[in-house]
Amino acid sequence: MKPKLIIGIIAIVGFTSLLMYNFGNSISTYVNFEQAAGMEGAHVVGQWDDSEEYGFSMETKQFSFYMEDEDGNVRRVVYPKPKPNNFEEADQLVVIGEMQNGVFYANDMLMKCPSKYNNADEAEFQKAMPSKS
Amino acid sequence: MIGFLGDLFINAAFVSAILAAIGYFIYAQNDTNKHFKISNWLFGLQGVFLLIASGLLLYVILTNQFNFYYVYNYTSSDLQLKYLISAFWGGQEGSFMLWILFSIIIGLGLMKWTREPYRGPVLFFLTLTQIFLLSMVSGISIGDFQLGASPFRSLAEAMPNAPFLQSNPDFVPQDGKGLNDLLKSPWMMIHPPILFVGFAMMTVPYCFAMAALWKRKYNEWVDHALPWTLGANVALLTAIFLGGYWAYVTLSFGGYWAWDPVENASFVPWLLGTAGIHTMIIQRKSSTSQKASIIFAILAYVAIVYETFLTRSGILADSSVHSFVDLGLYSQLVVFMGAVTIIGLGLFFYRYKELPSQENESKFLSREFMTFAGAMMLFLIGLVIILGTSSPIIGRLFVENPTPPEVSFYNEWTMPLAIIAAIMTVLGQFLFWKRQDAESLAADLLWPVAITCVATLATIIIGDVRDIYYMVFLLAAWFAVIGNSVIMYRLVRKKPLLIGGALSHVGFGVLLLGILASSAYNEMLLDESVKKYNAAIERGEVTDEQGFQKTQKVDFLELKLNQPKIIDDRYKVTYEGYTLKDQERPGQQEYRIKFEPADGEGKQFVLNPQVYPMLSSSSQSDIQWSVDPDVRTGLMSDIYLYVAGSSFVERRNDEAKEAAAKRRGNASTAEDDSVQVQEVNIGRGETIKVGAFDLTFNDYEEADDQQLQDSTIVAVRANLELTQRGSDSSVPIRPLFSIYVKDGENWTYAPPISIPGYDEASIQFTSVDPSNGGIDLKIRGIDTQVEDQWVLLVAEEKPFISIVWLGTFLLMAGFSISIFRHWDRERKKST
Repeated sequence: MKPKLIIGIIAIVGFTSLLMYNFGNSISTYVNFEQAAGMEGAHVVGQWDDSEEYGFSMETKQFSFYMEDEDGNVRRVVYPKPKPNNFEEADQLVVIGEMQNGVFYANDMLMKCPSKYNNADEAEFQKAMPSKS
Repeated sequence: MIGFLGDLFINAAFVSAILAAIGYFIYAQNDTNKHFKISNWLFGLQGVFLLIASGLLLYVILTNQFNFYYVYNYTSSDLQLKYLISAFWGGQEGSFMLWILFSIIIGLGLMKWTREPYRGPVLFFLTLTQIFLLSMVSGISIGDFQLGASPFRSLAEAMPNAPFLQSNPDFVPQDGKGLNDLLKSPWMMIHPPILFVGFAMMTVPYCFAMAALWKRKYNEWVDHALPWTLGANVALLTAIFLGGYWAYVTLSFGGYWAWDPVENASFVPWLLGTAGIHTMIIQRKSSTSQKASIIFAILAYVAIVYETFLTRSGILADSSVHSFVDLGLYSQLVVFMGAVTIIGLGLFFYRYKELPSQENESKFLSREFMTFAGAMMLFLIGLVIILGTSSPIIGRLFVENPTPPEVSFYNEWTMPLAIIAAIMTVLGQFLFWKRQDAESLAADLLWPVAITCVATLATIIIGDVRDIYYMVFLLAAWFAVIGNSVIMYRLVRKKPLLIGGALSHVGFGVLLLGILASSAYNEMLLDESVKKYNAAIERGEVTDEQGFQKTQKVDFLELKLNQPKIIDDRYKVTYEGYTLKDQERPGQQEYRIKFEPADGEGKQFVLNPQVYPMLSSSSQSDIQWSVDPDVRTGLMSDIYLYVAGSSFVERRNDEAKEAAAKRRGNASTAEDDSVQVQEVNIGRGETIKVGAFDLTFNDYEEADDQQLQDSTIVAVRANLELTQRGSDSSVPIRPLFSIYVKDGENWTYAPPISIPGYDEASIQFTSVDPSNGGIDLKIRGIDTQVEDQWVLLVAEEKPFISIVWLGTFLLMAGFSISIFRHWDRERKKST
């Protein structure tokens, strides 16, 4: 075998394994609020609990709301940025941050909207109906 | 009727495409000119049918026919014409149609310009991809299986389970849901079409590579494919740039790039296409890298289809801010992707043995090696990004239910590869135009290296760079800029049309400089007290009421009306109020934030960020606000800010909530004692503060209304002006004060005048104060306390964004020049 080929193979294998190793480390799995305790950069998926108070506080300059994760745990989430556009529209939220003392401090938040490109869902559609009939 | 016609024409186009593909196949196999002619007609017919179908879709959109699901879902009757047109490609179905339309136009070009032996196979493969795309919008059902989703679906077809549609299938809503407010932007007019031009053009190198494999002519095809690939490249780059600029200036994404899967979706094909351009160029020059050219041409298109699958199948829904919802196309997209990949790679490996391979290894210091290695770098960068974007699928190897990778994953892998690529661009260019050995190359590079070192040192000193990694980065980027500029300078004097490559590489170096400067030196604009607070957070000294340590910093700039704040000893920033007048979007406020140099010297400027209610999702009780940032673009740095909150917005929210509570009827008890009453005295020409308002008493006015009692002896009106403090719109209020005689006694008649827009609030003119010519007013329903007017901003200083744009423009210019050069040569050859 040519030495160049061997070097090439080693380089490819080395690059790939390092890449995959790093990739594996940089992703994590979605957890619920209970599992998030003690984790850094935990991703929690859930829904906004609109029965509780929410809003941006001028004193603390934080946006806070209650979120129910997929296993039904409800926790207060504090987000140090303004309320994102589309927050109320989102049918699913992903908050990324740390759990502290029963409060989730989110550094980042993603919203899954019915679609950014605005798809109708039937529930909304029904609401719009009485105006016609 | 129109729906039927629309479906008919789409499917007629579908059938024509299938027939054309069969014809092209026979032509490619047997060289029968008859079949070529017939297929061309069928291809043209397909275009005509699809054009008619698109015209119909545009027609139903423009005429607001909400019985169509697509029209209902993406438009509303109040949309302006330009957004109605954009709504055509606002959804998946329409954007597929746009893609096919561009692909057909390109097919016509290929028909005209492509020569034997590639003509037949190229058109066959192009038509094949169109068949797949058309199947996405066909909408025919075969038993339970539905092929694609037609844009002409009626509401009843789209939502068969909606109960009201079952009871009344002909129900037509009065208005549509409207285009998403964030998409109502001029950029929406231009960004998607250019992107689809790029997608459609990137099909061409794939078709040529397949034709080369089919016809076993592995060399000449690159000459034909090169201008198309370059064109696809420029189109994709332009689309990426427009998307980045859009995200930056009108969506509050905060930057031009976020490694979002949809952004990556257009970036990876660009990288692979660029890799292909490199190997094609070297194949033309030196007859090497035939395999790599074919592979990259195939992969670039596969990447487009793969990323189309990722963004349109709903698989990324959790990880992207803007992916489509699944339309039931998942399996069709998988088939499309599988077919393109298997046909492409299958044919490649089938022919692998007879593909020409290089007899002698290229030397390390040769243009063949350097160009090929550059292509590999681009390929690796693309691979890293595909891996990151595919985390919902590939991540399952590591964890269940994987999250997307951290942004640092992308940065840490792509940037070092870009650094290596930057150095290679210079070596490659110096070797490209002249065969050199190590010694002569070293001599040739002496000056560029020297200048690079000086430039890098100067940057390090001026920019106070401390990080070793940044220093290496700077060195590589400057080297690319300077080395390639030298080459460019030499070429301009000989033959200017050849500078495309060198210019693109300069652009690449400039882009790297811009990326480093804009991301490493991004700074929040904060006032002193907030900075101190954040420093204390960093030291871990701040605790909350329960004694837990706080870790979140505050990144806001709060301004009170007309109370300037000094920021960084550089800017004096003042909130000067807002305007509600002449706004394109109903309910929008435009704020005025004035920046002055802190030392008083130099120019001042005003930024106008906006806040507006999202009409598509707001209700009376719950207003959803959206923001439009404003950017002050500068040569050295941009100032970027948006409004996170304001007293106006907060008050409107409170009002909406109160109104909602009242409608529900549970506020009736609180109402009586909650109405605030205050009595004020105001002199002529004076302005006083009442709650959130400024109230000015301009003058008295004669009262000559019929309202007056017959026996009135005195009647006067007060000419008042009520302004929401900070805004520039005011309402005139002219309450009446009169005295009349009844039964020998004097009575006053002074009805309270309600304030427009505030049902509960009123002003009553209770008496004239003879001592000073002033008046007494009784004001109900306005806060007795004077409210501060404030605005809360997120403000950032982003240095050298202009350099990022400059780098992008240089890249575009370089690629464009190369198109001309290669097109020119092809044209000369064919005549």
